[in-house]
Amino acid sequence: MASAVTTQNLTKKYGRKTALLDCTLDVPAGHVIGLVGPNGAGKSTLLQLICGLLAPTAGSLSVLGALPASGLPRIGFVAQDTPVYGGLTVADHLRFGKHLNQTWDDDLARERIERLELDPKQKAGKLSGGQRAQLALTVAIAKRPELLLLDEPVAALDPLARREFLQGLMEYVAESGATVVMSSHLVADLERVCDYLIVLVKSKVRVTGDVEELLATHHRVTGARIDPEKLGPGRAVVHARHTDVQSSLVVRSTAPIDDPAFTVDPIDLEDLVLAYMSEAAESGRNRVLEKQR
Amino acid sequence: MIWLTWRQFRTQAVVGLVLVLAVGVAYLTTRSTLIDIARESGYTGCTDNCERVASQFVKTARSGYLGHLYQIGALFLLLLPALVGLFWGAPLVARELEANTHRLAWSQSISRNRWLGMKLGAIGLATAAFTGLASWAITAWASPLDKAEGWVVPLTYAARGIVPIGYAVLGFVVGVTIGMLLRRTVAAMAVTLVVVIAAMVGGLFLREHLVAQSTYQATLPADWDGGISLSPDDPNRDIRIEVDPPTVATWVLSNTIRTSTGAKYHGPYDPAKCGMNAAGGPDVCRAWIASQNLQQKVIYIGNEKFWTLQWRETGLLLVASSLLAIFCFWWIRRRVA
Repeated sequence: MASAVTTQNLTKKYGRKTALLDCTLDVPAGHVIGLVGPNGAGKSTLLQLICGLLAPTAGSLSVLGALPASGLPRIGFVAQDTPVYGGLTVADHLRFGKHLNQTWDDDLARERIERLELDPKQKAGKLSGGQRAQLALTVAIAKRPELLLLDEPVAALDPLARREFLQGLMEYVAESGATVVMSSHLVADLERVCDYLIVLVKSKVRVTGDVEELLATHHRVTGARIDPEKLGPGRAVVHARHTDVQSSLVVRSTAPIDDPAFTVDPIDLEDLVLAYMSEAAESGRNRVLEKQR
Repeated sequence: MIWLTWRQFRTQAVVGLVLVLAVGVAYLTTRSTLIDIARESGYTGCTDNCERVASQFVKTARSGYLGHLYQIGALFLLLLPALVGLFWGAPLVARELEANTHRLAWSQSISRNRWLGMKLGAIGLATAAFTGLASWAITAWASPLDKAEGWVVPLTYAARGIVPIGYAVLGFVVGVTIGMLLRRTVAAMAVTLVVVIAAMVGGLFLREHLVAQSTYQATLPADWDGGISLSPDDPNRDIRIEVDPPTVATWVLSNTIRTSTGAKYHGPYDPAKCGMNAAGGPDVCRAWIASQNLQQKVIYIGNEKFWTLQWRETGLLLVASSLLAIFCFWWIRRRVA
């Protein structure tokens, strides 16, 4: 499997504050990758390192087999809050993309704007949040990048606008085969579109993997007080919650667990991610996690 | 990138162009009136003992609307660097950083060096061209007046020739740099205003060191003309003598009366010759002062240094602007994401 992005001990510090620590990743090409983590986990930092806006403090990374740099035609980036030029019209944004990208696909851009029913003469500052995000996405994909990075593109959108945005994104992926890395602090947004997941908590990568594989190897185990030590080899407890009489664990295990003493249930993606996030939260300062916005 | 720079800058460019064209038209159309006044007052063509005619010409020309134009011209060119810094420089990068649109621009297939280079280069050139045009119109218009009054008088000097271009370009780059550092348009505009004014005031004080200063030294003649001030109760018997500088000294830096040894002269006066208790009138005092073997020493910068000073000051300002621009390129690559 080819890699879109590989990182080696990637670290980024802003002054004394560490935004990303020792991040070693191998992001496979041809996937839609969800980058999930609570606010302030380092998602934006990682994405900006990948698209060359930031330079790492330590470690190295390779993007599409080369050193990252901003201004590359092969990489598309939609920054946080989907910035567009408020004083420029929708049509101006297409002209902007055309002038600044040799690889610009004007037909694709026009067709998308038409399908979205955006008025080309409308000032971008007057667009709704959903329309603005769609415009930013249009500019990003019309340069036909091989790797498209999206930093919390749907965070500010209402559910309908979210669905439409993600639909537009998936259409492009289906048509172009591009690799997409999309960050969010909500698993629900990613669940629908991502087939690969990176969980980032407190500047560190907690878990990465193919979504189906992650779901197949994680289990919720409940039963009368379980000693995590006695689960047996090859099984790692991701998260444990104990009451006086009962324990509830999230366990990672490649082999199926069939011990009659416990009830073993499959786990959904959201609970899986939350298990990793709260494990990190408990091992350090507490962070308020949002399960649903 | 040319398209984007123009598209984002066009409103400000049009405002600037309208302003400069208005200045150009106003000054080039009224120039003939000023020349008429110069001719009618007899100043044009005057070859000898022109001081009285010149001052008459200046007095007539400076009254009425031409006088207002004269003042507005100087004010406009003195304010222009601050205006350029405020409205062209400060928002240029700050507005992008504020709205995060720099990330949109840098995600296109263009390096940020080219992005910044085009903006700095194109708008910097526009600044130089617009200021140059306005300064040329005003300098040409005021040339008969300046000829009578002197080119290097500090406030006139800063609003003539090519120096306004230097200050305007510096104002622009200062605005861009501060906007880049503060990342807030309004705050950047406020700080830019302060910095540009400080730079111009600094220029006012440093200017005199840019060229070799001339010295005029002459023995006080027997029929010397000037003012005397003394206090009759002063036990030190200090006396101050003021003599007008020679006409060649347009910009007077210092004008002192010195003794034959070169020390500043401040008395003591002879109470029998000068002051309330002296026997004779003021002429006795004057004659006594003339007999003290005193010298007038004037340090000045004359009209002939005008262009040397203009080129040197503009050169320095452009070097400072270039250094700031280099800093901008460094900063945007290292410190902005």
